[in-house]
Amino acid sequence: MGNMSKLLNRSLKKFIIYAGLVLVCSIPVYYAIISWLWDYELNEHNIVLTAEADREDSFRIIIAVTVLTVLFSTLLLGGFILLNRRISGRLWQPFYQSLSKIKNFDLSRPGEITFKETDIDEFRELNQSLYKLIAGNVAIFNQQKEFADNASHELQTPLAVIQSQLDLLLQSKSLSGEQYVIIEDAHKALARVSRINKNLLLLTKIENSQFMDKEMIDLSGLLEKTISIFINFSEAKQLEIKMGAMPGVIVEGNKILVEILLNNLITNAIRHSPPNSTISITLSGNSLVVKNTGSAALQQDQLFKRFGTTSSKTPGTGLGLALVKQICNRYNWKIAYTFNNYQHTFSLDLNLDFLPNRVVTMQDNNPV
Amino acid sequence: MKILVIEDETTLAQSIGTYLSDENYLCEFAGTFEEAIYKVEAYDYDCILLDLMLPGGDGIKILEELKAQNKQEGVIIISAKNSLEDKIKGLQIGADDYLTKPFHLSELAARIYSVIRRKQFGNVNVIEQNELKINLLGKTVMVNDQPVSLTKKEFDLLLYFISNKNKVVSKGALAEHLSGEVADMFDSYDFIYVHIKNLKKKLHEAGCDNYLKTLYGTGYKWEI
Repeated sequence: MGNMSKLLNRSLKKFIIYAGLVLVCSIPVYYAIISWLWDYELNEHNIVLTAEADREDSFRIIIAVTVLTVLFSTLLLGGFILLNRRISGRLWQPFYQSLSKIKNFDLSRPGEITFKETDIDEFRELNQSLYKLIAGNVAIFNQQKEFADNASHELQTPLAVIQSQLDLLLQSKSLSGEQYVIIEDAHKALARVSRINKNLLLLTKIENSQFMDKEMIDLSGLLEKTISIFINFSEAKQLEIKMGAMPGVIVEGNKILVEILLNNLITNAIRHSPPNSTISITLSGNSLVVKNTGSAALQQDQLFKRFGTTSSKTPGTGLGLALVKQICNRYNWKIAYTFNNYQHTFSLDLNLDFLPNRVVTMQDNNPV
Repeated sequence: MKILVIEDETTLAQSIGTYLSDENYLCEFAGTFEEAIYKVEAYDYDCILLDLMLPGGDGIKILEELKAQNKQEGVIIISAKNSLEDKIKGLQIGADDYLTKPFHLSELAARIYSVIRRKQFGNVNVIEQNELKINLLGKTVMVNDQPVSLTKKEFDLLLYFISNKNKVVSKGALAEHLSGEVADMFDSYDFIYVHIKNLKKKLHEAGCDNYLKTLYGTGYKWEI
Protein backbone atom coordinates (compact mmCIF):
# COMPACT_ATOMS: atom_id res chain seq x y z
CA MET A 1 0.00 0.00 0.00
CA GLY A 2 2.95 2.33 0.70
CA ASN A 3 3.88 2.58 -2.94
CA MET A 4 0.37 3.42 -4.02
CA SER A 5 -0.12 6.79 -5.59
CA LYS A 6 -2.91 8.45 -7.43
CA LEU A 7 -3.26 7.72 -11.09
CA LEU A 8 -2.92 11.38 -12.10
CA ASN A 9 0.19 12.04 -10.03
CA ARG A 10 1.83 9.01 -11.48
CA SER A 11 1.60 10.14 -15.12
CA LEU A 12 2.48 13.71 -14.20
CA LYS A 13 5.65 12.66 -12.43
CA LYS A 14 6.90 10.83 -15.53
CA PHE A 15 6.10 13.85 -17.69
CA ILE A 16 8.01 16.17 -15.43
CA ILE A 17 11.05 13.93 -15.21
CA TYR A 18 11.12 13.54 -18.96
CA ALA A 19 10.72 17.27 -19.57
CA GLY A 20 13.40 18.04 -16.98
CA LEU A 21 15.80 15.58 -18.60
CA VAL A 22 15.29 17.03 -22.07
CA LEU A 23 15.80 20.56 -20.79
CA VAL A 24 18.96 19.67 -18.87
CA CYS A 25 20.37 17.90 -21.90
CA SER A 26 19.52 20.91 -24.03
CA ILE A 27 21.90 23.18 -22.06
CA PRO A 28 25.17 21.80 -23.58
CA VAL A 29 23.52 21.62 -27.01
CA TYR A 30 22.49 25.29 -26.81
CA TYR A 31 25.96 26.16 -25.60
CA ALA A 32 27.69 24.26 -28.38
CA ILE A 33 25.51 25.85 -31.06
CA ILE A 34 25.79 29.39 -29.72
CA SER A 35 29.58 29.03 -29.27
CA TRP A 36 29.93 27.76 -32.79
CA LEU A 37 27.82 30.64 -34.17
CA TRP A 38 29.82 33.11 -32.12
CA ASP A 39 33.15 31.77 -33.28
CA TYR A 40 31.88 31.68 -36.84
CA GLU A 41 30.78 35.32 -36.60
CA LEU A 42 34.14 36.37 -35.14
CA ASN A 43 36.06 34.57 -37.87
CA GLU A 44 33.86 36.12 -40.55
CA HIS A 45 34.79 39.59 -39.35
CA ASN A 46 38.38 38.63 -38.61
CA ILE A 47 38.13 39.58 -35.04
CA VAL A 48 40.74 37.99 -32.88
CA LEU A 49 40.10 37.80 -29.20
CA THR A 50 42.53 37.19 -26.45
CA ALA A 51 42.28 33.81 -24.78
CA GLU A 52 40.99 35.49 -21.66
CA ALA A 53 38.20 37.34 -23.45
CA ASP A 54 37.28 34.14 -25.20
CA ARG A 55 36.93 32.34 -21.88
CA GLU A 56 34.88 35.17 -20.50
CA ASP A 57 32.53 34.98 -23.46
CA SER A 58 32.09 31.22 -23.07
CA PHE A 59 31.35 31.74 -19.43
CA ARG A 60 28.67 34.35 -20.18
CA ILE A 61 27.10 32.14 -22.78
CA ILE A 62 26.89 29.25 -20.32
CA ILE A 63 25.28 31.46 -17.69
CA ALA A 64 22.84 33.00 -20.13
CA VAL A 65 21.85 29.63 -21.59
CA THR A 66 21.43 28.06 -18.15
CA VAL A 67 19.39 30.94 -16.78
CA LEU A 68 17.14 31.01 -19.82
CA THR A 69 16.68 27.26 -19.84
CA VAL A 70 15.83 27.16 -16.15
CA LEU A 71 13.45 30.09 -16.54
CA PHE A 72 11.60 28.61 -19.48
CA SER A 73 11.61 25.13 -18.12
CA THR A 74 10.12 26.35 -14.84
CA LEU A 75 7.44 28.16 -16.77
CA LEU A 76 6.84 25.16 -18.96
CA LEU A 77 6.73 22.60 -16.16
CA GLY A 78 4.68 24.80 -13.84
CA GLY A 79 2.20 25.26 -16.64
CA PHE A 80 2.19 21.54 -17.25
CA ILE A 81 1.44 20.77 -13.65
CA LEU A 82 -1.34 23.30 -13.39
CA LEU A 83 -2.91 22.42 -16.70
CA ASN A 84 -2.63 18.70 -16.06
CA ARG A 85 -4.24 19.03 -12.70
CA ARG A 86 -7.13 21.05 -14.06
CA ILE A 87 -7.72 19.15 -17.24
CA SER A 88 -7.32 15.66 -15.94
CA GLY A 89 -9.18 16.46 -12.75
CA ARG A 90 -12.14 17.37 -14.90
CA LEU A 91 -11.47 14.52 -17.28
CA TRP A 92 -11.46 11.87 -14.60
CA GLN A 93 -14.33 13.36 -12.62
CA PRO A 94 -16.90 10.75 -13.75
CA PHE A 95 -14.47 8.02 -12.78
CA TYR A 96 -14.07 9.35 -9.27
CA GLN A 97 -17.80 9.84 -8.92
CA SER A 98 -18.49 6.25 -9.91
CA LEU A 99 -15.75 5.13 -7.57
CA SER A 100 -17.26 6.86 -4.55
CA LYS A 101 -20.69 5.48 -5.44
CA ILE A 102 -19.33 1.96 -5.49
CA LYS A 103 -17.49 2.52 -2.24
CA ASN A 104 -20.70 3.47 -0.49
CA PHE A 105 -22.67 0.65 -2.01
CA ASP A 106 -23.67 -2.17 0.29
CA LEU A 107 -25.24 -5.31 -1.13
CA SER A 108 -27.24 -5.99 1.96
CA ARG A 109 -28.81 -2.57 1.97
CA PRO A 110 -31.51 -2.22 -0.58
CA GLY A 111 -31.39 0.88 -2.72
CA GLU A 112 -30.73 1.67 -6.34
CA ILE A 113 -27.30 2.80 -7.40
CA THR A 114 -27.11 5.40 -10.18
CA PHE A 115 -24.00 6.75 -11.81
CA LYS A 116 -23.81 10.24 -13.24
CA GLU A 117 -24.20 10.53 -17.00
CA THR A 118 -20.93 11.11 -18.78
CA ASP A 119 -20.08 12.02 -22.39
CA ILE A 120 -16.83 10.06 -22.38
CA ASP A 121 -17.18 6.71 -24.09
CA GLU A 122 -14.82 4.78 -21.88
CA PHE A 123 -16.49 5.94 -18.70
CA ARG A 124 -19.93 5.30 -20.06
CA GLU A 125 -18.86 1.79 -20.88
CA LEU A 126 -17.38 1.40 -17.43
CA ASN A 127 -20.60 2.54 -15.78
CA GLN A 128 -22.68 0.24 -17.91
CA SER A 129 -20.49 -2.71 -17.00
CA LEU A 130 -20.78 -1.74 -13.35
CA TYR A 131 -24.58 -1.58 -13.59
CA LYS A 132 -24.60 -5.04 -15.07
CA LEU A 133 -22.23 -6.43 -12.49
CA ILE A 134 -24.13 -4.92 -9.58
CA ALA A 135 -27.53 -6.00 -10.89
CA GLY A 136 -26.23 -9.55 -11.18
CA ASN A 137 -24.88 -9.49 -7.66
CA VAL A 138 -28.04 -8.02 -6.21
CA ALA A 139 -30.11 -10.69 -7.91
CA ILE A 140 -27.90 -13.47 -6.57
CA PHE A 141 -27.91 -11.93 -3.11
CA ASN A 142 -31.70 -11.69 -3.08
CA GLN A 143 -32.06 -15.21 -4.35
CA GLN A 144 -29.82 -16.45 -1.62
CA LYS A 145 -31.69 -14.52 1.05
CA GLU A 146 -34.99 -15.80 -0.20
CA PHE A 147 -33.66 -19.31 -0.36
CA ALA A 148 -32.39 -19.26 3.22
CA ASP A 149 -35.71 -17.82 4.34
CA ASN A 150 -37.85 -20.32 2.46
CA ALA A 151 -35.64 -23.27 3.26
CA SER A 152 -35.80 -22.51 6.97
CA HIS A 153 -39.57 -22.14 6.87
CA GLU A 154 -40.05 -25.29 4.89
CA LEU A 155 -37.85 -27.19 7.32
CA GLN A 156 -39.95 -26.23 10.34
CA THR A 157 -42.90 -28.39 9.32
CA PRO A 158 -41.06 -31.70 8.82
CA LEU A 159 -39.21 -30.97 12.05
CA ALA A 160 -42.56 -30.53 13.76
CA VAL A 161 -43.69 -33.87 12.33
CA ILE A 162 -40.61 -35.66 13.66
CA GLN A 163 -40.99 -34.02 17.03
CA SER A 164 -44.63 -35.01 17.38
CA GLN A 165 -43.95 -38.57 16.23
CA LEU A 166 -41.22 -38.92 18.83
CA ASP A 167 -43.59 -37.57 21.48
CA LEU A 168 -46.13 -40.19 20.45
CA LEU A 169 -43.54 -42.94 20.48
CA LEU A 170 -42.74 -41.92 24.03
CA GLN A 171 -46.30 -42.88 24.98
CA SER A 172 -45.96 -46.44 23.74
CA LYS A 173 -46.79 -48.88 26.53
CA SER A 174 -44.14 -51.40 25.51
CA LEU A 175 -41.28 -48.95 25.54
CA SER A 176 -38.09 -50.21 27.18
CA GLY A 177 -35.63 -48.04 29.06
CA GLU A 178 -33.12 -48.48 26.27
CA GLN A 179 -35.59 -47.34 23.66
CA TYR A 180 -36.49 -44.37 25.79
CA VAL A 181 -32.85 -43.27 25.80
CA ILE A 182 -32.74 -43.58 22.00
CA ILE A 183 -35.81 -41.36 21.70
CA GLU A 184 -34.31 -38.83 24.07
CA ASP A 185 -31.11 -38.69 22.02
CA ALA A 186 -33.11 -38.21 18.85
CA HIS A 187 -35.01 -35.45 20.65
CA LYS A 188 -31.78 -33.72 21.54
CA ALA A 189 -30.44 -33.81 18.02
CA LEU A 190 -33.77 -32.58 16.77
CA ALA A 191 -33.73 -29.70 19.21
CA ARG A 192 -30.33 -28.76 17.87
CA VAL A 193 -31.46 -28.84 14.27
CA SER A 194 -34.43 -26.63 15.00
CA ARG A 195 -32.18 -24.28 16.92
CA ILE A 196 -29.77 -23.99 14.00
CA ASN A 197 -32.69 -23.46 11.70
CA LYS A 198 -34.14 -20.75 13.92
CA ASN A 199 -30.81 -18.95 14.14
CA LEU A 200 -30.23 -19.14 10.39
CA LEU A 201 -33.61 -17.61 9.87
CA LEU A 202 -32.77 -14.92 12.37
CA LEU A 203 -29.47 -14.11 10.67
CA THR A 204 -31.23 -13.87 7.34
CA LYS A 205 -33.79 -11.55 8.82
CA ILE A 206 -31.17 -9.27 10.33
CA GLU A 207 -29.37 -9.17 7.00
CA ASN A 208 -32.68 -8.46 5.33
CA SER A 209 -32.82 -5.33 7.41
CA GLN A 210 -35.71 -6.50 9.48
CA PHE A 211 -35.84 -5.54 13.15
CA MET A 212 -35.22 -1.94 12.13
CA ASP A 213 -37.31 -0.22 14.79
CA LYS A 214 -35.25 1.22 17.59
CA GLU A 215 -35.91 2.28 21.13
CA MET A 216 -33.93 3.40 24.14
CA ILE A 217 -33.01 0.32 26.13
CA ASP A 218 -31.88 0.25 29.74
CA LEU A 219 -28.99 -2.13 29.21
CA SER A 220 -28.24 -2.43 32.91
CA GLY A 221 -31.78 -3.59 33.65
CA LEU A 222 -31.91 -5.89 30.67
CA LEU A 223 -28.61 -7.47 31.65
CA GLU A 224 -29.84 -8.19 35.15
CA LYS A 225 -33.05 -9.69 33.78
CA THR A 226 -31.11 -11.87 31.33
CA ILE A 227 -28.81 -13.18 34.03
CA SER A 228 -31.77 -14.04 36.23
CA ILE A 229 -33.22 -16.14 33.39
CA PHE A 230 -30.02 -18.15 33.13
CA ILE A 231 -29.50 -18.61 36.85
CA ASN A 232 -31.13 -22.07 36.66
CA PHE A 233 -28.48 -23.23 34.25
CA SER A 234 -25.50 -21.64 35.95
CA GLU A 235 -26.53 -23.01 39.33
CA ALA A 236 -26.87 -26.48 37.92
CA LYS A 237 -23.19 -26.23 36.97
CA GLN A 238 -22.22 -24.61 40.28
CA LEU A 239 -21.02 -21.50 38.51
CA GLU A 240 -20.68 -18.23 40.30
CA ILE A 241 -21.76 -15.20 38.32
CA LYS A 242 -20.05 -12.02 39.46
CA MET A 243 -21.85 -9.09 38.07
CA GLY A 244 -20.86 -5.46 38.20
CA ALA A 245 -23.25 -3.29 36.28
CA MET A 246 -23.20 0.45 36.26
CA PRO A 247 -26.84 1.46 36.60
CA GLY A 248 -28.61 3.48 33.97
CA VAL A 249 -26.58 2.56 30.89
CA ILE A 250 -28.86 3.36 28.00
CA VAL A 251 -28.33 2.18 24.45
CA GLU A 252 -30.40 2.70 21.37
CA GLY A 253 -31.35 -0.40 19.46
CA ASN A 254 -33.93 -3.04 18.74
CA LYS A 255 -34.92 -4.78 21.94
CA ILE A 256 -35.16 -8.25 20.44
CA LEU A 257 -31.71 -7.97 18.91
CA VAL A 258 -30.09 -6.63 22.05
CA GLU A 259 -31.70 -9.44 24.03
CA ILE A 260 -30.35 -12.00 21.59
CA LEU A 261 -26.90 -10.45 21.87
CA LEU A 262 -26.90 -10.65 25.67
CA ASN A 263 -28.42 -14.15 25.65
CA ASN A 264 -25.76 -15.47 23.31
CA LEU A 265 -22.81 -13.96 25.14
CA ILE A 266 -24.03 -15.20 28.51
CA THR A 267 -25.05 -18.67 27.31
CA ASN A 268 -21.66 -19.13 25.73
CA ALA A 269 -19.97 -18.22 28.99
CA ILE A 270 -22.15 -20.63 30.96
CA ARG A 271 -21.89 -23.39 28.41
CA HIS A 272 -18.13 -23.31 28.07
CA SER A 273 -17.16 -22.76 31.70
CA PRO A 274 -15.83 -25.70 33.64
CA PRO A 275 -17.99 -26.56 36.68
CA ASN A 276 -17.34 -24.62 39.88
CA SER A 277 -15.73 -21.67 38.12
CA THR A 278 -16.60 -18.01 38.03
CA ILE A 279 -18.10 -15.92 35.26
CA SER A 280 -17.59 -12.21 35.52
CA ILE A 281 -19.86 -9.79 33.74
CA THR A 282 -19.01 -6.10 33.89
CA LEU A 283 -21.01 -3.30 32.39
CA SER A 284 -19.29 0.04 32.57
CA GLY A 285 -20.09 3.34 30.93
CA ASN A 286 -19.46 2.25 27.39
CA SER A 287 -18.48 -1.37 27.40
CA LEU A 288 -19.73 -4.78 28.41
CA VAL A 289 -17.13 -7.39 29.32
CA VAL A 290 -17.94 -11.08 29.81
CA LYS A 291 -15.17 -13.29 31.18
CA ASN A 292 -15.12 -17.00 31.82
CA THR A 293 -12.52 -19.62 32.56
CA GLY A 294 -11.15 -21.74 29.76
CA SER A 295 -8.20 -23.97 29.01
CA ALA A 296 -7.06 -22.74 25.61
CA ALA A 297 -7.56 -19.73 23.39
CA LEU A 298 -10.20 -19.90 20.70
CA GLN A 299 -9.43 -19.28 17.07
CA GLN A 300 -9.83 -15.55 16.55
CA ASP A 301 -10.43 -15.69 12.82
CA GLN A 302 -13.05 -18.45 12.99
CA LEU A 303 -14.85 -17.27 16.07
CA PHE A 304 -17.38 -14.90 14.58
CA LYS A 305 -17.97 -16.85 11.39
CA ARG A 306 -21.03 -18.95 10.76
CA PHE A 307 -20.37 -22.49 11.88
CA GLY A 308 -16.78 -21.42 12.50
CA THR A 309 -16.67 -23.04 15.92
CA THR A 310 -19.19 -25.84 15.60
CA SER A 311 -18.18 -29.08 17.16
CA SER A 312 -20.13 -32.15 18.04
CA LYS A 313 -19.08 -31.77 21.65
CA THR A 314 -21.14 -28.69 22.35
CA PRO A 315 -24.84 -28.20 21.94
CA GLY A 316 -24.12 -24.86 20.30
CA THR A 317 -25.42 -24.03 16.89
CA GLY A 318 -22.22 -22.43 15.67
CA LEU A 319 -24.26 -19.37 14.90
CA GLY A 320 -24.42 -17.57 18.24
CA LEU A 321 -21.34 -15.44 17.78
CA ALA A 322 -22.10 -14.82 14.12
CA LEU A 323 -25.39 -13.37 15.33
CA VAL A 324 -23.60 -11.29 17.95
CA LYS A 325 -21.26 -9.94 15.29
CA GLN A 326 -24.09 -9.20 12.92
CA ILE A 327 -26.00 -7.30 15.58
CA CYS A 328 -22.87 -5.35 16.57
CA ASN A 329 -22.33 -4.39 12.94
CA ARG A 330 -25.84 -3.02 12.77
CA TYR A 331 -25.23 -0.62 15.65
CA ASN A 332 -21.55 0.11 15.04
CA TRP A 333 -20.60 -1.63 18.24
CA LYS A 334 -17.32 -3.48 18.39
CA ILE A 335 -16.93 -6.99 19.71
CA ALA A 336 -13.46 -8.27 20.53
CA TYR A 337 -12.11 -11.51 21.93
CA THR A 338 -8.95 -11.99 23.96
CA PHE A 339 -7.52 -14.88 25.93
CA ASN A 340 -5.37 -14.14 28.93
CA ASN A 341 -4.50 -16.04 32.05
CA TYR A 342 -6.94 -18.86 31.22
CA GLN A 343 -9.76 -16.38 30.81
CA HIS A 344 -11.86 -16.00 27.69
CA THR A 345 -12.82 -12.37 27.46
CA PHE A 346 -15.45 -10.94 25.17
CA SER A 347 -15.62 -7.18 25.24
CA LEU A 348 -18.35 -5.22 23.62
CA ASP A 349 -17.53 -1.61 22.90
CA LEU A 350 -20.79 0.28 22.84
CA ASN A 351 -19.41 3.34 21.14
CA LEU A 352 -21.04 5.69 23.63
CA ASP A 353 -18.52 8.50 24.07
CA PHE A 354 -21.23 10.97 24.85
CA LEU A 355 -22.72 8.72 27.46
CA PRO A 356 -22.69 10.85 30.63
CA ASN A 357 -24.92 13.51 29.10
CA ARG A 358 -27.27 10.96 27.76
CA VAL A 359 -27.69 9.21 31.09
CA VAL A 360 -28.46 12.49 32.78
CA THR A 361 -31.04 13.52 30.23
CA MET A 362 -32.69 10.14 30.29
CA GLN A 363 -33.00 10.32 34.04
CA ASP A 364 -34.32 13.85 33.86
CA ASN A 365 -36.97 12.82 31.42
CA ASN A 366 -38.04 9.78 33.36
CA PRO A 367 -38.13 10.53 37.06
CA VAL A 368 -38.73 7.19 38.71
CA MET B 1 -64.40 -31.44 24.36
CA LYS B 2 -64.23 -30.85 20.61
CA ILE B 3 -61.11 -29.60 18.96
CA LEU B 4 -60.60 -28.59 15.34
CA VAL B 5 -57.11 -29.11 13.99
CA ILE B 6 -56.55 -26.89 10.96
CA GLU B 7 -53.27 -28.16 9.54
CA ASP B 8 -52.32 -29.24 6.04
CA GLU B 9 -49.56 -31.61 7.12
CA THR B 10 -51.67 -34.73 7.73
CA THR B 11 -49.03 -36.63 9.70
CA LEU B 12 -48.71 -33.78 12.15
CA ALA B 13 -52.47 -33.33 12.40
CA GLN B 14 -52.92 -37.03 13.07
CA SER B 15 -50.27 -37.23 15.76
CA ILE B 16 -51.91 -34.27 17.47
CA GLY B 17 -55.22 -36.13 17.22
CA THR B 18 -53.78 -39.34 18.61
CA TYR B 19 -52.07 -37.61 21.50
CA LEU B 20 -55.17 -35.64 22.46
CA SER B 21 -57.72 -38.42 21.95
CA ASP B 22 -56.94 -40.03 25.30
CA GLU B 23 -57.71 -36.81 27.13
CA ASN B 24 -61.44 -36.65 26.50
CA TYR B 25 -60.73 -34.53 23.48
CA LEU B 26 -62.43 -35.31 20.21
CA CYS B 27 -60.42 -34.02 17.27
CA GLU B 28 -61.69 -33.05 13.85
CA PHE B 29 -59.41 -32.11 11.01
CA ALA B 30 -59.30 -29.58 8.21
CA GLY B 31 -56.46 -29.63 5.72
CA THR B 32 -57.38 -26.79 3.42
CA PHE B 33 -58.59 -23.25 3.76
CA GLU B 34 -62.06 -24.01 2.32
CA GLU B 35 -62.59 -27.03 4.52
CA ALA B 36 -61.54 -25.03 7.56
CA ILE B 37 -63.88 -22.14 6.76
CA TYR B 38 -66.75 -24.57 6.21
CA LYS B 39 -66.22 -26.39 9.50
CA VAL B 40 -65.68 -23.24 11.49
CA GLU B 41 -68.96 -21.81 10.22
CA ALA B 42 -70.98 -25.00 10.54
CA TYR B 43 -69.92 -26.31 13.94
CA ASP B 44 -68.89 -25.17 17.36
CA TYR B 45 -65.64 -26.23 18.94
CA ASP B 46 -64.02 -25.78 22.30
CA CYS B 47 -60.65 -25.04 20.82
CA ILE B 48 -59.21 -24.50 17.36
CA LEU B 49 -55.61 -25.18 16.41
CA LEU B 50 -54.79 -22.99 13.46
CA ASP B 51 -51.87 -23.29 11.06
CA LEU B 52 -51.34 -20.00 9.26
CA MET B 53 -49.95 -21.31 5.97
CA LEU B 54 -52.70 -23.32 4.35
CA PRO B 55 -53.34 -24.38 0.79
CA GLY B 56 -56.02 -22.06 -0.50
CA GLY B 57 -55.58 -19.11 1.82
CA ASP B 58 -54.06 -17.37 4.78
CA GLY B 59 -54.99 -18.80 8.17
CA ILE B 60 -55.28 -15.29 9.58
CA LYS B 61 -58.45 -14.87 7.49
CA ILE B 62 -60.05 -17.80 9.30
CA LEU B 63 -59.27 -16.09 12.57
CA GLU B 64 -60.82 -12.86 11.31
CA GLU B 65 -63.89 -14.78 10.17
CA LEU B 66 -64.24 -16.35 13.62
CA LYS B 67 -64.05 -13.00 15.31
CA ALA B 68 -66.45 -11.44 12.80
CA GLN B 69 -68.99 -14.14 13.68
CA ASN B 70 -68.38 -13.48 17.33
CA LYS B 71 -67.52 -17.11 18.01
CA GLN B 72 -66.18 -17.93 21.42
CA GLU B 73 -63.76 -20.73 20.55
CA GLY B 74 -60.30 -20.58 21.97
CA VAL B 75 -57.79 -20.31 19.14
CA ILE B 76 -54.17 -21.43 19.29
CA ILE B 77 -52.04 -20.56 16.29
CA ILE B 78 -49.47 -23.21 15.40
CA SER B 79 -47.13 -21.72 12.88
CA ALA B 80 -43.82 -22.40 11.21
CA LYS B 81 -43.23 -18.68 11.21
CA ASN B 82 -41.38 -17.55 14.27
CA SER B 83 -41.82 -13.89 13.62
CA LEU B 84 -42.85 -11.48 16.26
CA GLU B 85 -45.01 -9.49 13.87
CA ASP B 86 -47.10 -12.53 13.03
CA LYS B 87 -47.41 -13.38 16.68
CA ILE B 88 -48.52 -9.88 17.64
CA LYS B 89 -50.90 -9.71 14.69
CA GLY B 90 -52.44 -13.08 15.55
CA LEU B 91 -52.92 -12.21 19.20
CA GLN B 92 -54.33 -8.79 18.32
CA ILE B 93 -56.95 -10.28 16.02
CA GLY B 94 -57.98 -12.51 18.86
CA ALA B 95 -55.96 -15.70 19.03
CA ASP B 96 -55.49 -16.94 22.58
CA ASP B 97 -52.03 -18.35 22.12
CA TYR B 98 -49.24 -18.77 19.60
CA LEU B 99 -47.03 -21.84 19.36
CA THR B 100 -44.06 -22.06 17.00
CA LYS B 101 -43.26 -25.28 15.17
CA PRO B 102 -41.68 -27.59 16.11
CA PHE B 103 -43.32 -28.05 19.50
CA HIS B 104 -43.75 -30.85 22.01
CA LEU B 105 -47.20 -32.40 21.98
CA SER B 106 -47.21 -32.12 25.75
CA GLU B 107 -46.67 -28.36 25.42
CA LEU B 108 -49.58 -28.17 23.01
CA ALA B 109 -51.77 -30.16 25.39
CA ALA B 110 -50.86 -27.80 28.22
CA ARG B 111 -51.76 -24.75 26.13
CA ILE B 112 -55.06 -26.27 25.00
CA TYR B 113 -55.92 -27.15 28.58
CA SER B 114 -55.18 -23.66 29.75
CA VAL B 115 -57.13 -21.97 26.95
CA ILE B 116 -60.19 -24.16 27.49
CA ARG B 117 -60.09 -23.65 31.26
CA ARG B 118 -59.81 -19.91 30.82
CA LYS B 119 -62.63 -19.72 28.27
CA GLN B 120 -65.10 -22.02 29.94
CA PHE B 121 -64.55 -21.87 33.63
CA GLY B 122 -64.05 -18.15 33.96
CA ASN B 123 -64.18 -17.13 37.58
CA VAL B 124 -64.42 -20.49 39.26
CA ASN B 125 -61.42 -22.02 37.64
CA VAL B 126 -60.59 -24.79 40.09
CA ILE B 127 -59.24 -28.18 39.12
CA GLU B 128 -60.16 -30.97 41.50
CA GLN B 129 -58.50 -34.31 41.55
CA ASN B 130 -59.20 -36.47 44.58
CA GLU B 131 -57.50 -34.76 47.50
CA LEU B 132 -55.86 -32.15 45.27
CA LYS B 133 -57.46 -28.79 44.51
CA ILE B 134 -55.80 -26.29 42.23
CA ASN B 135 -57.09 -22.75 41.90
CA LEU B 136 -55.90 -21.48 38.56
CA LEU B 137 -56.76 -17.85 39.13
CA GLY B 138 -55.40 -17.56 42.63
CA LYS B 139 -52.53 -19.90 41.78
CA THR B 140 -53.03 -21.77 45.03
CA VAL B 141 -52.93 -25.48 45.73
CA MET B 142 -54.83 -27.33 48.49
CA VAL B 143 -54.33 -30.89 49.61
CA ASN B 144 -57.13 -32.19 51.83
CA ASP B 145 -58.20 -28.55 52.18
CA GLN B 146 -54.82 -27.58 53.59
CA PRO B 147 -52.87 -25.03 51.54
CA VAL B 148 -49.54 -26.10 50.05
CA SER B 149 -47.10 -23.37 49.25
CA LEU B 150 -45.46 -23.88 45.87
CA THR B 151 -43.02 -21.70 43.97
CA LYS B 152 -44.10 -20.38 40.60
CA LYS B 153 -42.03 -22.99 38.77
CA GLU B 154 -43.42 -25.83 40.88
CA PHE B 155 -46.96 -24.59 40.25
CA ASP B 156 -46.26 -24.43 36.52
CA LEU B 157 -44.89 -27.97 36.57
CA LEU B 158 -47.90 -29.29 38.47
CA LEU B 159 -50.26 -27.75 35.96
CA TYR B 160 -48.22 -29.13 33.09
CA PHE B 161 -48.44 -32.63 34.53
CA ILE B 162 -52.17 -32.32 35.19
CA SER B 163 -52.82 -31.24 31.62
CA ASN B 164 -50.75 -34.20 30.38
CA LYS B 165 -52.03 -36.78 32.79
CA ASN B 166 -51.16 -40.40 32.06
CA LYS B 167 -48.66 -39.24 29.48
CA VAL B 168 -44.91 -39.66 29.49
CA VAL B 169 -43.33 -36.24 29.50
CA SER B 170 -39.63 -35.88 28.73
CA LYS B 171 -37.20 -33.75 30.67
CA GLY B 172 -36.50 -31.68 27.57
CA ALA B 173 -40.15 -30.78 27.17
CA LEU B 174 -40.31 -29.73 30.83
CA ALA B 175 -37.16 -27.62 30.53
CA GLU B 176 -38.55 -25.90 27.48
CA HIS B 177 -41.80 -25.24 29.26
CA LEU B 178 -40.10 -23.70 32.28
CA SER B 179 -37.41 -21.66 30.55
CA GLY B 180 -39.04 -20.93 27.23
CA GLU B 181 -36.73 -20.24 24.32
CA VAL B 182 -33.54 -20.19 26.32
CA ALA B 183 -33.89 -23.81 27.42
CA ASP B 184 -32.76 -25.14 24.12
CA MET B 185 -29.48 -23.33 24.34
CA PHE B 186 -28.25 -25.89 26.82
CA ASP B 187 -27.70 -29.59 26.79
CA SER B 188 -28.18 -30.31 30.42
CA TYR B 189 -31.58 -29.95 31.99
CA ASP B 190 -30.41 -30.86 35.45
CA PHE B 191 -32.17 -27.93 37.07
CA ILE B 192 -35.46 -29.70 36.34
CA TYR B 193 -34.62 -32.37 38.93
CA VAL B 194 -34.54 -29.88 41.75
CA HIS B 195 -37.96 -28.42 40.96
CA ILE B 196 -39.54 -31.82 40.52
CA LYS B 197 -37.97 -33.16 43.68
CA ASN B 198 -39.31 -30.20 45.66
CA LEU B 199 -42.76 -30.47 44.12
CA LYS B 200 -42.95 -34.17 44.96
CA LYS B 201 -41.74 -33.54 48.49
CA LYS B 202 -44.20 -30.73 49.18
CA LEU B 203 -47.18 -32.68 47.86
CA HIS B 204 -46.14 -35.77 49.74
CA GLU B 205 -45.69 -33.90 53.03
CA ALA B 206 -49.17 -32.40 52.66
CA GLY B 207 -50.58 -35.91 52.41
CA CYS B 208 -51.09 -36.12 48.66
CA ASP B 209 -50.79 -39.49 46.95
CA ASN B 210 -47.74 -40.03 44.81
CA TYR B 211 -49.22 -39.45 41.35
CA LEU B 212 -45.98 -38.27 39.79
CA LYS B 213 -43.94 -41.24 38.64
CA THR B 214 -40.42 -41.20 37.29
CA LEU B 215 -39.98 -43.40 34.23
CA TYR B 216 -36.87 -44.65 32.49
CA GLY B 217 -34.74 -42.39 34.66
CA THR B 218 -35.49 -39.09 32.97
CA GLY B 219 -39.16 -39.19 32.01
CA TYR B 220 -42.16 -38.33 34.14
CA LYS B 221 -45.78 -39.33 34.21
CA TRP B 222 -48.72 -38.03 36.24
CA GLU B 223 -50.67 -41.23 36.80
CA ILE B 224 -54.29 -41.26 37.79
